[in-house]
Amino acid sequence: MTPGPVPERAYSVGREKLYMFLRNPMGMFGLALVVMFFASAIFAPFFATHDPFAMDIPNRLGGPSAQHWAGTDQLGRDTYTRVLYGGRVALEVAAIGVSVSLVVGLVLGMLAGYGPAWLDNLLLLVFDAIRSFPTIILGLASVALLGPSLKLVLAIVIITSIPSYGRLARTSTLALKRTEFILAAQSMGASTTRTLARHIMPNVIGPLLILAAMDVPVVVTIEAGLSFLGLGVQPPTASWGTILGEGRLIIRETPWMVVAGGIPLVLTTLGFTFLGEALRDVFDPKLRKGH
Amino acid sequence: MWWYLLKRLGLSVVIVLLAVAALFLMLHSIPGDPASIALGPRATPKIIAEYTAKMHLDQPLAYQFVIFVGNVLQGDLGSDVFSNRPVAETMAEQLPFTLTLAIAALFWSAMVGIPLGCFSAIRPNSWLDRITGIISVGTIAVPSFLVSIWAILVFSIALRWLPVIGAGDEGDILDQIVHLILPAFAVGLGWVGYLARMVRASMLEVMGENYIRSARAFGLRSRTIVYRYALKVAILPTITLIGVGFGGLLSGTVFAEIIFSRPGVGKIIYDMALARNFPVVQGAVLVTIALYVVVTLIADLVVSWLDPRVRDSL
Amino acid sequence: MTALLDIRGLNVDFRTPRGRVHALRDVSFKVPRGKIVGVVGESGSGKSTVIWTVTRLLAGNGVVEGGEVLFDGEDVLKYSEPRLMGFRGEQVSIVFQDPMTSQSPVLSYGQQMTDILYRRDMSMSEKRRRAVEMMRRVGIPDPESRIVQYPHQFSGGMRQRAGIAMALLMDPMLLIADEPTTALDVTMEAQIIHLIRELQSEFEATIMLVSHNLGLIAELCDEVVVMYAGEVVENGDVRDIFYRAAHPYTQALLECDPARESARSRILPVIPGDIPDLHLRPAGCVFAPRCPSAMAACGERQPASHAVGDGHAARCHLLDPALAGAAAQPAPAAHGSRPAPAAAEALAAKPEAWSGPLLEVTDLRVRFRVMGALNAMVKGVRDPFVDAVLGVSLTLDAGETLGLVGESGSGKTTLGRAVLGLVEAQSGKAVFEGTDLLALRPGSFKPLRRDMAMMFQDPVGSLSPRQTVKALITEPFEIHGMAGRNLDDEAARLCEMVRLPQNFLSRYPHELSGGQARRVGVARALALNPKLVIADEPTAGLDVSVQGEILNLMAELQRTRGLGYLIISHNLPVVRHISDKLAIMYLGRLVERGDCEAIFRRPAHPYTEALVRGIPQPDPEKRRTLLSIEGEVPSLGNRPAGCEFHTRCKYATARCKTERPGETVLADGRIVTCHHPLGT
Repeated sequence: MTPGPVPERAYSVGREKLYMFLRNPMGMFGLALVVMFFASAIFAPFFATHDPFAMDIPNRLGGPSAQHWAGTDQLGRDTYTRVLYGGRVALEVAAIGVSVSLVVGLVLGMLAGYGPAWLDNLLLLVFDAIRSFPTIILGLASVALLGPSLKLVLAIVIITSIPSYGRLARTSTLALKRTEFILAAQSMGASTTRTLARHIMPNVIGPLLILAAMDVPVVVTIEAGLSFLGLGVQPPTASWGTILGEGRLIIRETPWMVVAGGIPLVLTTLGFTFLGEALRDVFDPKLRKGH
Repeated sequence: MWWYLLKRLGLSVVIVLLAVAALFLMLHSIPGDPASIALGPRATPKIIAEYTAKMHLDQPLAYQFVIFVGNVLQGDLGSDVFSNRPVAETMAEQLPFTLTLAIAALFWSAMVGIPLGCFSAIRPNSWLDRITGIISVGTIAVPSFLVSIWAILVFSIALRWLPVIGAGDEGDILDQIVHLILPAFAVGLGWVGYLARMVRASMLEVMGENYIRSARAFGLRSRTIVYRYALKVAILPTITLIGVGFGGLLSGTVFAEIIFSRPGVGKIIYDMALARNFPVVQGAVLVTIALYVVVTLIADLVVSWLDPRVRDSL
Repeated sequence: MTALLDIRGLNVDFRTPRGRVHALRDVSFKVPRGKIVGVVGESGSGKSTVIWTVTRLLAGNGVVEGGEVLFDGEDVLKYSEPRLMGFRGEQVSIVFQDPMTSQSPVLSYGQQMTDILYRRDMSMSEKRRRAVEMMRRVGIPDPESRIVQYPHQFSGGMRQRAGIAMALLMDPMLLIADEPTTALDVTMEAQIIHLIRELQSEFEATIMLVSHNLGLIAELCDEVVVMYAGEVVENGDVRDIFYRAAHPYTQALLECDPARESARSRILPVIPGDIPDLHLRPAGCVFAPRCPSAMAACGERQPASHAVGDGHAARCHLLDPALAGAAAQPAPAAHGSRPAPAAAEALAAKPEAWSGPLLEVTDLRVRFRVMGALNAMVKGVRDPFVDAVLGVSLTLDAGETLGLVGESGSGKTTLGRAVLGLVEAQSGKAVFEGTDLLALRPGSFKPLRRDMAMMFQDPVGSLSPRQTVKALITEPFEIHGMAGRNLDDEAARLCEMVRLPQNFLSRYPHELSGGQARRVGVARALALNPKLVIADEPTAGLDVSVQGEILNLMAELQRTRGLGYLIISHNLPVVRHISDKLAIMYLGRLVERGDCEAIFRRPAHPYTEALVRGIPQPDPEKRRTLLSIEGEVPSLGNRPAGCEFHTRCKYATARCKTERPGETVLADGRIVTCHHPLGT
């Protein structure tokens, strides 16, 4: 029950939501980790202590020391520096992969939801067919054909992510399509483009952006996973996946590489997940309902 | 009901076909001779010629596709380029390992995750809820292959509690179970959080419904309300999610099989992909897709069986 | 004998992000045994909060700040959790507003009802027998086979009957009915009212009936409690309240109810202003800001409750003998019709003159597909369509209002949408000023859309949620390529036209109250000076006191601009006040159409009669004793043969069952589709 109207604009919903977000400790923690991820990747050369490719065979397989903060790998390269540079690969894949699949998924999803039934059915079928490929298996199969490369990783990330954005956009569009404000726009003679751009998109994009935040960890994990298996980024380029992959082979000699390669992966994933959850709690009223 | 089942089956077949067609197109859209690509650089001209004839690679693409699908329907997935062993036979041998791992992982994560989600939804913002929240996000945040590596580091190398390699001796159930523990733990861990969060969210939503309030107004026991009135509805989206997420679970088993050197479909795909033994990869991918489609089908059927509204709308 | 329920000085707050809402303040009233007590109030009055406090089911952010809820002499607020479990269901039970959402969708009625009986030491088959018995008692036919069904398999009326059966299952001492008929159509409402009255005399039950519907309260209650903004402003015997209301709010509320007035008037009385913000504790009387008779004391001190008669009391300074002298002459209840702004009149002049009817619909038919082509083939369904609108013809002249009335599912909304091309019509014509709209291509339809506008049901939901009021009301200019106009000026003009403060232009829909959002809807509809306005339930979701403002505004704009209105509504009293002509729809067909007053005075079609007689009158002396209509609306997919109304018609003859009636023109020009029109 809403008690009466607001007399003057004493408070704004936007500000209230901002406060809610600021008061959510997990969300703030997530935001801090995300900022750390961006900063460390973008300013990697600034934070680095060594050249990521400089080998130092006598000092190989070293543990953490004053000189090598996270130890050295099988070729004596500085693991800390390589982890920093690995963050750049993760950021690149995440930024390109998430934004491209978000945009394509949004457009396809709105078309499926708003367009004729046959288009909806066709797109759904395609989405389902893509979804039936487990990501890693799609990666393995295409690498078997095309050989490993970062571009292929990106393509796999985009193709496998589009259906989740597309489905979400489609579901929201379908629900909106039957609302009275869309009918109202149609009754005024608004064109399909106008209806989609002015009335549907602003109401669909919010949940998609939250999904994007939650999707970053997935994308980063796919890249790391494929590179870990040797199907993604190729040596000597450093990626968290390749560091883990190389570390796994020498796990009995030194545990430091699989630890150093894994921690940034976990922190990034944690950060984006906390951030996404906090955003959802603030902006998705459905989940706020529970007493 | 029968009509729905029929439609759903038909749709599943179409999805598998589409996926196969995509795989097929991928193989044939690459510039160069498909046989050399499929067989990899090590193949001799003789093998290439044999393969070309056998796979009808000299025929139009559509014809090849029909032949391939026809063969698949007869249970013929092609044969290994090197050993000439039927792929179907290899799959029959490997699939049980993958299934065992997937089911074990799913089972333990459901046994832990669903009650966790349920309890934290009953008392939102309690200490149990907060701990569950941190556990769920924490477990989701660690990718399964990282769990595998770190689990090896801790339990096998540091503590020397559990074996690292293989699936255990044939015939020795206990040994097999011991070998299953770490991989199943690694594959299922993320799912604990995944399921807990899902169940919590849908339980919270259901607990806010009017019919829960009416059940309370009629003085029903809170146990009855939670399990009979709320969970019965809240579990439905979770079942659908398990079906849909099964693909992700299979990705996890691939990593686990590779890292723990366990036999299984994922390991086969990985080894054969590196060896460029394409017919085996193709067959194995087909099997995983079919597996995924069957699991989602079962999930949908279970939901429609549990939910009278869905049952009636079929 | 003490009252069964005695609420004393109850105060309840809700914690919200914006601070505490003082939802109930010093609420006291009694529910005597064996009586029906009505709690009446508009939204925000706190009447639901009373229910949830009495049953101790307040939402998590609700806090009881003081007071007692004595049930049979014991304070419910002090009950322990186990004691509460015995109290709920066993001693007090609730009939809920919306049976669809308040019954578990995944459990059959049998399961839900035996669950409620868990405390009874009975075998499963005994419980089941009792459940079947109760379902039979509330008028559910064939209860043995229907008890295994689920809520979604019941119709709305049957669901509410089942809800009543569940509530009565444990023989509660107190039955609380929360808006028990609000989710139902007029004819179903009449049946449920009848049932509640029957059950009350049979079980000698004590009932607390909570509703905003004055007619329902007058029909059923012995005593009435009037609530406003979290306070009880007046309580007393039902006759005292309806005939001798002492509080200005009660008086105004009764006057606003469109069902009350027997004579039709174009201008409805309204209560100006809005419910106060309950975050702040009012300094004086809560109603003072809207009260026509407010005096200086009203804004300063809270009035005490003054006895007016035996068991009749009101909280008003006017009744305080000490202040009686200071009382200003009570002004007649405000009639919110100020003269229209001159600007609107200047714009009203339209050069072209069309002499024929504004809108002429002929033989319109709209079909909906109910299953896919393949599915239908497999199931052997030859006709996978239903007719939502069938053979409908009507005309509307400029400056005239046509009320289109029907229950839910009658096809009235579809008809309105089909005229504007929002749903596809199968056949027929909709001629607007000589052009058949249904034959037009979208491109050539667009320019004509400037001359017609539609208002949708949900005042807030029909406004695009992420646009400001300014963007919303100026959108028609942008769509029709008139962005060259100064949109700021246009927005200001439209705001003035619907009397919305200019500072609202930067607000978003969720920041508006229902009435304000509706004004925005009116402004948008009239932005381009249309000739035809189709309004779908223009008063839906609005409180009685706000309804009047919107209807008056619409009537005024019609007068100054010569608009033609097609008003689609299920609310007969509202339609009656604003319509010149009426068309009654049943199962997609028009059963009667003609002059509005004539139809209301002497309905010719039995269905119209049932609708007109079905309106509960806000007058305790006019209680109905007989039910005018039984049964439920058949499904569109299963139209009865012959006259489609014969299954529910008490006058039906053998001929009605086989032969479809044609249109009969009565002496006064009315057209009736009936073999045996009434009163002829």
